[in-house]
Amino acid sequence: MTSWRVTRPGIFAPCLLLLLLPACDGPQSALAPAGREAELLADLFWIMLAGAVVLWLAINGLMFYVTRINVGHMPRRLAEGIIIGGGIVFPVIVLAALLGYGLTLMPLTRVPGDGLRIRVTGEQWWWRVEYWPEGAEAPVVAANEVRLPSGRRTDIELAAHEVIHSFWIPALGGKTDMFPGRDTLMTLEPLTPGVYRGQCAEFCGESHALMAFQAVVLPEEEFADWLEAEAAPARPPSGPLEAAGQEVFLAQGCGACHTVRGTPATGAVGPDLTHVGSRLTIGAGTLPPTAEALANWIAHPGTIKPGVEMPSYDELAPDDLAALAAWLEGLE
Amino acid sequence: MVHQKGKDWQDGVKSDEAEFAEEADSLWRITLGPLIWALHFVASYGTTAAWCAKVATAFEPVPGLRIGLAVLTVAALAGIVWVGWRAWRQWDFTEDWDYVNKEGENEDRHEFLGHAAFLLAIVSFVGVVYVAMPVLLIESCR
Repeated sequence: MTSWRVTRPGIFAPCLLLLLLPACDGPQSALAPAGREAELLADLFWIMLAGAVVLWLAINGLMFYVTRINVGHMPRRLAEGIIIGGGIVFPVIVLAALLGYGLTLMPLTRVPGDGLRIRVTGEQWWWRVEYWPEGAEAPVVAANEVRLPSGRRTDIELAAHEVIHSFWIPALGGKTDMFPGRDTLMTLEPLTPGVYRGQCAEFCGESHALMAFQAVVLPEEEFADWLEAEAAPARPPSGPLEAAGQEVFLAQGCGACHTVRGTPATGAVGPDLTHVGSRLTIGAGTLPPTAEALANWIAHPGTIKPGVEMPSYDELAPDDLAALAAWLEGLE
Repeated sequence: MVHQKGKDWQDGVKSDEAEFAEEADSLWRITLGPLIWALHFVASYGTTAAWCAKVATAFEPVPGLRIGLAVLTVAALAGIVWVGWRAWRQWDFTEDWDYVNKEGENEDRHEFLGHAAFLLAIVSFVGVVYVAMPVLLIESCR
């Protein structure tokens, strides 16, 4: 006879799973949806999971029945009924229902946007972001942060420079790949204002894991105010330290790669820094936006983000580095 | 197919070569179901890709494409049902209730090929239905 005593690992395994449950919440979880698409995808996940559990229980239940409960001779009709019904008809119907349900969701995640267009280009390893409000002739350029109005549907145009990337904000919607030389489209309708985390979801080189960004969902009016501020040139240095920092920036040739609108710096190789001080992170979701972190980044970018194109400026005098970081932190 | 004379026959038993030659047709027939499935698959995906690249724009509904592929799907399913029906008759299950045809005789071999073709027709039918569902349920090229 078979014994049904549950082994000790058998008790502990579900408890360990419970410990993992809090990971389902948080700013980067498809199971904590904050947008229309993410809600659809979360529903899809739970329904698919339910279907998988039903199939698993039914198939294993039948296996259990024929190998443990009814082990003796079985009438042919019953045996064929179990094989054809449980092995063919039942899975075909359940899978067809799940497939049909999944497919009917697809048009709902592909509704055109209602005005604002954002173009995001994947770089190694950061995000070039351009805001094109309806009727705009030139974009508002930013980087490494995507801000969206809640309750509105925004078109998101995706591109890539040199290698493939994938744009994914799990709390707001599904992921879409980004290809060099080809634009892909997605639309997002965030519902709950808040700060969420996005992540490159396609391996794109050695610092792929450090290619993240913050997605900030704002109420519509706040978003309009923010976009207006973002379109303005950089604020002038607020004190002598910041003025010295700007001089260091220009003297070191940082403007060959970075733009700070309102200054002679107009480079487009690296991220636009016009309002870098107002971002929630620096280094594409890698460091906090503090003067200390900025100084650290400028001196050792390759240590923080291996393979990064920016050269290190560790030869800068500590005072110059501190002034530069103070000026950048003040660029709100 | 009654050949009582000729070199195919020796002592009243058909030679293996003759038997295999005769069964060649039904060997081909077991591929028909999956073949229709494969053709339907290629036609559905190929037409959709070309249509979406050359004819339609991203958000535009594509009723012409969907109706065309619906007709193609019905034709493919009808073809598979026909193949399956012929295979069912060849298997001849309800006459002798011989499920496995395990004797290895000519008649068993003939019925086994029918059995195999019948099962493949069922798989192909389900495959065609699943392939067609995206086209019929998705409204535009996006």
